[in-house]
Amino acid sequence: MKNELDISGGTTRMESAFGSGDGDDEATASVAQKAEVKASIYEQTYRPWRGSLGPRWVRNYAIFRHHVYGIFSSKGHRHYHPLVRLTILIVFLFSISPVAMLFLASLGGQGGFGEILSRMWGINRYNLWGQVLGFFPRNLCMWPLLTALVVGGMISDDRRNGTSAIYFSRPVNRTDYTAMKYLSSAVVLGFVIVFSYIVYYTSAIVLNGEGWAFLIDTFPIFMGGLIAGILLVITYTSIGLALSSISQSRFFAAVAFLAVIYGTKMVAFLIESTFDSSILYLLSPYDGLAHIGQWLVGIESNYDHPLSLSIVSILLINFLSLLLLTSRVSSLEVTRE
Amino acid sequence: MTPYGSRVTNMASETSEGLLITAKSLNKMYGPHLALDDINLEIPPGAIGILGPNGAGKSTFFKCLLGLIKTTSGEGSVLGHDIRTEGDLIRSKIGYMPEYDSLDPGLTAIDQVRYSGELLGMNPDSATQRAHEVLQYVGLKDQRYRKIETFSTGMKQAAKLACALIHDPDILICDEPTNGLDQRAREFMLQTLKKTVSEGGRSVLMSSHVMDDVERVCDRIVMIHKGKIVVHRSIDEMVNQVEKEIEISVWGGASRMEQELTSIGLSVRRMGRNMRVTKVDEETYTNILSSAAKAKVQVRKMTDYEPDLEDIFLLIMDKLGEDVKETDDLITPRYTGEGP
Repeated sequence: MKNELDISGGTTRMESAFGSGDGDDEATASVAQKAEVKASIYEQTYRPWRGSLGPRWVRNYAIFRHHVYGIFSSKGHRHYHPLVRLTILIVFLFSISPVAMLFLASLGGQGGFGEILSRMWGINRYNLWGQVLGFFPRNLCMWPLLTALVVGGMISDDRRNGTSAIYFSRPVNRTDYTAMKYLSSAVVLGFVIVFSYIVYYTSAIVLNGEGWAFLIDTFPIFMGGLIAGILLVITYTSIGLALSSISQSRFFAAVAFLAVIYGTKMVAFLIESTFDSSILYLLSPYDGLAHIGQWLVGIESNYDHPLSLSIVSILLINFLSLLLLTSRVSSLEVTRE
Repeated sequence: MTPYGSRVTNMASETSEGLLITAKSLNKMYGPHLALDDINLEIPPGAIGILGPNGAGKSTFFKCLLGLIKTTSGEGSVLGHDIRTEGDLIRSKIGYMPEYDSLDPGLTAIDQVRYSGELLGMNPDSATQRAHEVLQYVGLKDQRYRKIETFSTGMKQAAKLACALIHDPDILICDEPTNGLDQRAREFMLQTLKKTVSEGGRSVLMSSHVMDDVERVCDRIVMIHKGKIVVHRSIDEMVNQVEKEIEISVWGGASRMEQELTSIGLSVRRMGRNMRVTKVDEETYTNILSSAAKAKVQVRKMTDYEPDLEDIFLLIMDKLGEDVKETDDLITPRYTGEGP
């Protein structure tokens, strides 16, 4: 190697621990008995591995499976606290509770109690919108809580535990890592939010014995609600993951997410109450989505400001969240955090 | 479809001229700061120690090898793969054991190791089977179903090693593998690394501040200082370059002995009753004994002193103008970059 340091002719250090006296005095030494090894029961043998590694999708699926399966069984997968899993179950049961009411309505038959229940819980524009975005406290409180619990530790745990090194020292790139974390979170949220919506719609048709005419009439409304639900999942996942990526604490990410959702809504509500203007609802992700959802399902809007502003607001919120997420993921270290 | 499908186990067939790592005029800049400065390197298979004070550029060098960061200029290859364009391929053939905690405390050891295998593309069944094997190899067979949060530092280090070995990598990169280990765990870790090279036929790149560890595992060292490679040689070769000394231990009149030796022109370094005398030629032994007779002192011990890697490291640091008396001095704010 050129320009290599020449060390020839140097002298080595004196090992200071070797002797402690000045050498002019008489000294004595004591000798310790050497420990005797009696036996060994452990034999260490290196075994080679002759298998082959799968392609990119196998690695990505492993990340996805690790996070999603953990909801159902923490054995071998990402650990979710039992209380978190219990909360997710409760939220899911609440989400499909209208199905039970529809079942009761179907038992009640035409007229009387059955008809009242059917009017209250049956398929119409308001109920379809409400199933995803409208009902308080179920949707306004439970969806954010669900997101906070699921997404809070998604990336912050990797930052805290240094497990990002496990990902990035392997052939997992940051795009795949982010995409799979995003997909895992979105699938869990989607399972509760979107799947319960689909179950609600289909069970209404089945339990009421509705025909093709009803289906043709209501399907576009159902699709509008479905798109609103997917938008909700995407937006909440983006914000939640962005907050998770900036912190080492899942608690911070969860609380910050709830603060963003409720804080913006509260401020906008106070401004509307005082100045009679809904414009500040543009800052609230929930209200932006609710506004778009009302338009998609075809019900009267609660907001004074134009729909286009809400669309731009939601796009901007998602864009900024993803920007923050990607920039923070790219800062995750392999060698040192 | 499968970029890593056909695994080639013969390392020599993958590399150009059987070299593990090559670098040509490699530079890496972080803004105005030059982290790697004109690195030219050819590393053959085996066990290689990467030495250097904190901030010297070791981590940057590792990141370049893993294809995690783009080099500013120059070129390099690992196992014949270009570090600029084939980072994924390189990382699939390398096992990296980070210095810091990189384990999920909520997982059991077997699940953590299996998951790290799955992240490489191993199917879950073979990853599970292999996880059992490597956990046994690193001495965690009986602890494999315990959660990592209950592990000691030594067990965590062993689990990290198991994660790195899960796919039987061609190169194992270990960043401070004995960090925080007690003597027994340290012995076992070093023995395991040595065995991975000698029995497994794998190569190990190891960075450590503990020279004794590097010396016990590695046969070559690469020393980085301020982003430059200052030394890349076998340890034996370097030991032969350093001046030979004779170590003596005297009883009674050590000061007289020192004066006698100095008076006949020998270079003496004394610490209490122990002295090291620079070996000029074979006559030096006779001269030492004659001096002892004149000074009326007993020579209780006289041996050729074999310089160890710490000696060489400190000598190199001395030649580089660094005021370092022992390797522990490197763990100071000046070198770690911490503090005011």
